[in-house]
Amino acid sequence: MPIKIFFHIYSHKIFFWLFILCFLLQAWLWKNTESYHQQQQIVPEPISKYAAAAASFGDKEFLFRTLSTRLQNSGDIFAGFIALKKYDYNRLYQWFKTLDTLNGQSTLIPSLASYYYSQTQNKQDTIYIINYLDEFASKDIDKYWWWLFQATFIAKRDLKNYDLSLKLANKMASSASSTAPIWVKQMPAFISAEMGNNCLSLKIINIILQEYQQNPTPEKAKEINFMRFFIQKQINILKQQKFDINQCQ
Amino acid sequence: MQAILKYILRNGLRDRLYLGLFIAMAICFALSIFLGSTMLVEQNQTSIAYFAGSCRTLLSCGIILFVCITINRAFEHKEIEFILSKAISRENFILGYLLGFFVATFIILAPITIIAIAVFKIINLGILYWFLTTLAECLIVICFALLSSLILKNSFSAILASIAFYAISRLMGVFVLAIDLPQHLNQLSLGNLAMALKLLSVMFPRLDLYSQSSWLVYQDSINSQELLIILLQSIIYLPLLIFMSFHDFKKKQF
Repeated sequence: MPIKIFFHIYSHKIFFWLFILCFLLQAWLWKNTESYHQQQQIVPEPISKYAAAAASFGDKEFLFRTLSTRLQNSGDIFAGFIALKKYDYNRLYQWFKTLDTLNGQSTLIPSLASYYYSQTQNKQDTIYIINYLDEFASKDIDKYWWWLFQATFIAKRDLKNYDLSLKLANKMASSASSTAPIWVKQMPAFISAEMGNNCLSLKIINIILQEYQQNPTPEKAKEINFMRFFIQKQINILKQQKFDINQCQ
Repeated sequence: MQAILKYILRNGLRDRLYLGLFIAMAICFALSIFLGSTMLVEQNQTSIAYFAGSCRTLLSCGIILFVCITINRAFEHKEIEFILSKAISRENFILGYLLGFFVATFIILAPITIIAIAVFKIINLGILYWFLTTLAECLIVICFALLSSLILKNSFSAILASIAFYAISRLMGVFVLAIDLPQHLNQLSLGNLAMALKLLSVMFPRLDLYSQSSWLVYQDSINSQELLIILLQSIIYLPLLIFMSFHDFKKKQF
């Protein structure tokens, strides 16, 4: 039988079996590639400054918001979440810094860092958060004293590093912001009192009172009451401890 | 010219340009609000940035498709020969088409801006600058799409060329940045790359400065020097493209 006639008669069968063969090949390929998938990272590597400039297509704000959403939801996997202790905090820190280059005015990133990422179970990782908040607030302490307070608090509560906390509190107390409450200046006294350094605490409160007498500023009643409460409480503690004030000189 | 203007506007209606873009922008709008609301803080600012960025891109791409397809169809259906057989100069023909596309863009952009003001409560000068610069950006894109449709007979090529023009123009800020890279980085390419980028930056407009989402969020991010550059760029580049279209269309044989 000539080949053309053979093809004409059996072509439908040939194509059917070719279809079956291709289907089997597809099933074989699926079987071998079933477990092959893209490497997933909880926190991917941050993009470079130049890549960010290119990816923004001139609109840095849009890219900043897109990447912020990505950062907020990193570790959000199908049907569940990953514990913060498994995150690479060094990379998170780099992301924070990169996003700050896209938008230097937003407080979204420090908010994410202090309210969300500081909740990690691995408390040693909070040093990255503290460093970032310190660097962010140092741009303008008068404006961003709140983030320095967050860093102070995280260092005290989570990292239990009172020396670092006191250092940050001192930095925060140097803020000359007119909107900052009086406790911003008191913070080093709180920390030093918790450290058991009553002399330092007493000295700080004395300085605040002297400054207030020299330059009285209108303070809210609640803040004055809180300050009075703290002083009263410390006096009671010192009395119980039979603290000798002369040892501070 | 008035007849051409009406014809283009009706073309937009017939091609469902207005309806299509409004539906697409409504989806962008809803997605922006949804994504913004998922944020820990600054929900409104996030929604505004998403809305502004996505609407600008959508509008530019939509208008490119509309211009290229309309011009290509006019060539294929011999509408151009028919119109030119009337008492109308070739310059007026081009201007009529451009005016039609400009008005169509305004009809789409104006309500979107008003809705954004109402929903996101944007009450600063930023929204005005955003509206005007987005309009100017669309005008430049329309002029280029018209020019490429006249030069390239194929609508597919014209669409691709226009989208490439838009993307490169929005990347121009990076190119300029690359030219000014420190000397030790430039030495890698012995300055050839910088020269190529410089040539590109001569020919393309600085669209990366236009239509910044940050203006809607932070009023103090508005830079008067940038606005001046945008104004000058628009005043120079729009006539450049229009005159180029005149020149090309004048030489065309039918």
